[in-house]
Amino acid sequence: MTGTFASFNTALSAIRHQRTVMDIASSNIANVDTPGYVRRRAEAASLGGATEVALWSRDTSAGHGVRTAGITRMSEPLLDARSRREHGRSAYLDTRLEVLKRVESGTGEPGKDGVAAAMSEFNKAWQDLENHPQVGGASREQILAVGQALADAIRAQATNVTSEQGDQRSRMLDLVTEVNATAKDLASVNQRIAQATSFGLDDNDLQDQRDVLALRLSELTGGVTSTRPDGGLDVTVGGEPLVSGLSASQVTITGGIAADGSADGNPLTFAVGGNAVTPGSFGGEVGAVGELLTTSLPGLLGQLDAVAKTLADAVNAQHAAGYDADGVAGTPFFSYDATLGAASSLQVAITDPELVAASSVPAVGGNQQGSNAGKIGELTGAKDAYGRLINGLATEISSSTRLAQTQNLLTAQVDGSREALTGVNYDEETVNLVAAQRAYEAAARVMSTMDQVLDTLINRMAI
Amino acid sequence: MSTFRVTQRTIVDRSLSGIQLGLGRLSQVQEQLSTGRQINRGSDSPTGTASAMRLRDSLSSVEQFSRNAQDAMGRLKVVDDTMTDVTDTVISARGLALQGANSGSMSPASREALAVEVDQLREALLDQANSTYLSRPVFGGTVSGDKAYDTTGAFLGDGGEMSRRVGESTRVRVDVDGRTVFGDGATSVFAELDALSTALRAGDDAGVQTAIAALDTRQKTVSDAHAKVGATYKRIEQAQTNLLDAELNLKSELAEVENVDLPKATMELSMAEFGYKTALAASARVMQPSLMEFLR
Repeated sequence: MTGTFASFNTALSAIRHQRTVMDIASSNIANVDTPGYVRRRAEAASLGGATEVALWSRDTSAGHGVRTAGITRMSEPLLDARSRREHGRSAYLDTRLEVLKRVESGTGEPGKDGVAAAMSEFNKAWQDLENHPQVGGASREQILAVGQALADAIRAQATNVTSEQGDQRSRMLDLVTEVNATAKDLASVNQRIAQATSFGLDDNDLQDQRDVLALRLSELTGGVTSTRPDGGLDVTVGGEPLVSGLSASQVTITGGIAADGSADGNPLTFAVGGNAVTPGSFGGEVGAVGELLTTSLPGLLGQLDAVAKTLADAVNAQHAAGYDADGVAGTPFFSYDATLGAASSLQVAITDPELVAASSVPAVGGNQQGSNAGKIGELTGAKDAYGRLINGLATEISSSTRLAQTQNLLTAQVDGSREALTGVNYDEETVNLVAAQRAYEAAARVMSTMDQVLDTLINRMAI
Repeated sequence: MSTFRVTQRTIVDRSLSGIQLGLGRLSQVQEQLSTGRQINRGSDSPTGTASAMRLRDSLSSVEQFSRNAQDAMGRLKVVDDTMTDVTDTVISARGLALQGANSGSMSPASREALAVEVDQLREALLDQANSTYLSRPVFGGTVSGDKAYDTTGAFLGDGGEMSRRVGESTRVRVDVDGRTVFGDGATSVFAELDALSTALRAGDDAGVQTAIAALDTRQKTVSDAHAKVGATYKRIEQAQTNLLDAELNLKSELAEVENVDLPKATMELSMAEFGYKTALAASARVMQPSLMEFLR
């Protein structure tokens, strides 16, 4: 037998549950634009009668109402992990591409103001000198000016690359600071999730925070995440734990970059929690900047140095084979400092136009011959090397662009799947809200009906 | 439910990326049209960049070859003109020699007059042998001074060759070794004229005959050398014409690689504009309605 007033309690449980449903719908709508917010759903469970079989216990009631069994956070850990991985890859490719594109636009090729054009001008000026090798003539002055312009153009490109290296070193310092701060935040969220879980509190907001922090950490380091039994997330980089439960390790730069952002001359090395980790183990932004600093930018500078060295050595060798206006064998036309890098230190070594060794005969006193100038004007080694450099860079950027585009499509698609699961739909929430409102009204109606029934029983019977 | 769940944010994100994509395309075509170039940086087309750099380099070489050829032609023009004068002078000298060949019928005074005339021709010939182009003697090879012959008729040149590069692997000689035209010292045309003038003064008929024979040979030598200069000049002229053609071809090839195809780009602009507008219109329509509007 059920009690006289049992249905009141049933109606009350329904009213309570529908209130919760409405609360959740309004919370979902309120957080529609909150970053990292995952929609919630109230799970209802019916309160049945006694289910334990007992000799003297007989329960014949039709149910005791409803209870809110829990608030589900509509996320899928696998999809979250996938999203973090793809975001890490996107961040790596985008960061690297952005820098390489900047370097490329600094070359000004193909165009009439780049190094290639300056090299053509240089060859032309030597041939002009062959045509008009008069001592004291304008062609001798011109070859010095054109040579200096070429050296300036090559130095400008080297500066372009070295200043980019400087920028990336400072950026690396900032990134590492951000990684460490984020790792610390994630560890503290992990701790609070573990506490909330053990006390049975609602930890959905903490989980939202946890996912936002873990996503940022993946974008920064490309680290691998794994879920802990207590609901927290661990992150490892290159096999070394960066975040493990409530403790966070520090990423430190152990070589390559000084504290003020300058290069210390050593190769770039990292440590996570004191254990050495190679720059190649990092993905994300740190990995991209690491790759630029260890491979791409030094490689480019090395190629530029080779171009400058080829140019200077070939011109100097041919220049030495000739004779200047006084019939003296030519001194080096270009000078460079190999320790600083040929491209960064290329200069025209001659200031006196009479010292240009245009002649191929050692005649003394007003040497008016120009064959050697013609021979210098035919040198093409540096031009070819420079063409290969520009073409290599262009091909690299072009293929990286395609890679990044494909990766971004994939990332967008995974984000789309994640959004489909976790995102808030106004229409759905509105429907839930209206349904809950109707259910609430119906429960209230049950209550007033019971009231009327009792009124009949108490006030109208046996009078 | 098996259908893909769509949320407002899905639509907003997709609209935004659609609009971004449309605007990106629009800006790419706009860049091409406003710069007039389809390769604005190497990565726009690596192969195109390689061709463009190669073509630019060839174009600059061709321009220089053309300038070299111009210089060569200027130089050879002087040589050519001088050779014409030299031929005339040698012919005049031979004429004088023929006049004086019969010395028996001539008075010493008229022989002296002929001899003086021959001396003057020798002076003229010496001037011609020392002709210059841009203050450099054209018959002196690569000599550093400004004379190819001294007054005694001795060759001062160094026998060096002066050549000009008029093609990737073509060099042409733009000077003439004075010795192939005028000879040197005792075997020079100057010595021959000296001998003629001496023979005329002395009334030495045999000497005059020898001089006539020598001048005949000289005349042939000069015209042979002259013909060679003419042939070289013709060759450079031909090279110059070819260079101008090559320059035009290279320019049009470069334009093909680097410059934007206007009708195509304009068409692409319209397409990109249409795509962008469609994305905007679709976004505007799809983002407005929600169930809220129907629940009043």
